[in-house]
Amino acid sequence: MSWRIWTLLRKELRSLFSTPIAYVVLTASVSVTAVLFFDHLVRFNRLLFVFHSEGIGAGGFDSGTIPRQLNLLEEVFIPLSQDVSLMLLLVIPLITMRVFAEEKTQGTDELLLTTPLRTWEIGAAKYLVAWSFVALLLAMTALYPAVAVRQAQLGLPHLLALYLGQLGFGIAVASIGLACSSLSRNQVVAAVVAYALSFILYDFHWLSTLVSQPFARVLEEVELQSHLEAFARGVVQLRHGVYFLGIGAIGFTISVGSIELGRAR
Amino acid sequence: MSAQIEARNVTKQFGDQVALRDFSVDVAPGEIFGLIGPNGAGKTTFLRILTGYWLPTSGDVRVDGTSVVKEPHAVRKRIGYAPEQPKLYSDHRVDSFLRLMAELRGLRGVARQDAVERAIERFDLEEVRTRRIGVLSKGFRQRVSLAQALLHEPALLVIDEPTVGLDPAQQIALRRIIQGLGGDHTVLLCTHQLGEAEACCDRVLLLVGGRPRRIATAQELASGKHLEELFLAETNDSEADA
Repeated sequence: MSWRIWTLLRKELRSLFSTPIAYVVLTASVSVTAVLFFDHLVRFNRLLFVFHSEGIGAGGFDSGTIPRQLNLLEEVFIPLSQDVSLMLLLVIPLITMRVFAEEKTQGTDELLLTTPLRTWEIGAAKYLVAWSFVALLLAMTALYPAVAVRQAQLGLPHLLALYLGQLGFGIAVASIGLACSSLSRNQVVAAVVAYALSFILYDFHWLSTLVSQPFARVLEEVELQSHLEAFARGVVQLRHGVYFLGIGAIGFTISVGSIELGRAR
Repeated sequence: MSAQIEARNVTKQFGDQVALRDFSVDVAPGEIFGLIGPNGAGKTTFLRILTGYWLPTSGDVRVDGTSVVKEPHAVRKRIGYAPEQPKLYSDHRVDSFLRLMAELRGLRGVARQDAVERAIERFDLEEVRTRRIGVLSKGFRQRVSLAQALLHEPALLVIDEPTVGLDPAQQIALRRIIQGLGGDHTVLLCTHQLGEAEACCDRVLLLVGGRPRRIATAQELASGKHLEELFLAETNDSEADA
């Protein structure tokens, strides 16, 4: 990494943590993950209690036995993973909305763009900081999924797969947010458009039922959620990683391109 | 270490509006060259093209023979720019901001620290070096802006309206600093203040409606032929033409 990118990266980190929003987002995310984890766990324990104490033979199970579907993976781990991904969808645009838009409204982009920095170096520093923030956020919320994985005896590889998926997902959502921020001077507009695009891209299932097969398949491939689910089940495939990084690369290209277009306006 | 500027047929259009029209000028190494003109004359537009912030619609500007259109990165290494209305990171302290800008301009280690200390001393920033830029007065912000532009001792210093909003004492101090920069640096000074251009510049170009109207030479400036008369004559002509 070039010295200038590293310098700018430190400046971006400083900017990020000079406002309360980063601390609020981190604290809220950790708290919400904790609440959701315990909510899923309590629900799971209630179900276990029902099966253990009464048996529901009338429902098709022998008294005192636990159905195979009722396990920590299905009842706690996967729902929690979905909750974390929804939380990322909600909080990441709050972080990314200011990254480029604020430079434009305060005029400091003029300062940056008249230094010897290349446009891609400016973009790289800003993207790396946003992606690092996603990694930090996930690391801080790791405790509860880690406990779930341990109790479910799914093993460390499963936990790593989950987090790899969440990181890829977070990188994709952050890149959408950063691209929106680079296209707008208004932070609120950047956040709202990022929310809209991320949520649309998150779930295409409803749309794929309305179109014929080849298109439905394409929609499934474009959907964020379908790529994330594989990781939650412990499946790590290169194509899912390429998909997330591809969104990152598209966002980066849009951001750098919008800076260059701004010079030629 | 100073630079030569050659602008050739530079035009900048924003939609239908022409901000700069077929603008050509030569600035010699070590010269303090002034750009004056009414609002909307195209002064800031030219500075932004010269610094590589904007691309011209047509034409080119060369700094020591290097094109700002083809090699903006190489040109920016040789330029220090203090924009109008200091655009600074208000969450930074003065010294950390100067360190940041020095690093972005390629200075590291001892060279970086020396450059920061020199800038703090040159612009009398010692008393505010640990203060956040956001709480500084306009005068200090202006000085910080100039200090960051000079950190790497650029061959070409581009300054846009440096004394706007400053009190008379600060204006005099800043003019003295600018006067002291000539020779070692080429200085392109854009200003509304005719007295400032007269006091600081070797030559002054009057821009009206995006076109160069007249260059006041060093002899004219020294002979006391006031810019005010030239300015009024040329801008009146321009209105009559219109």
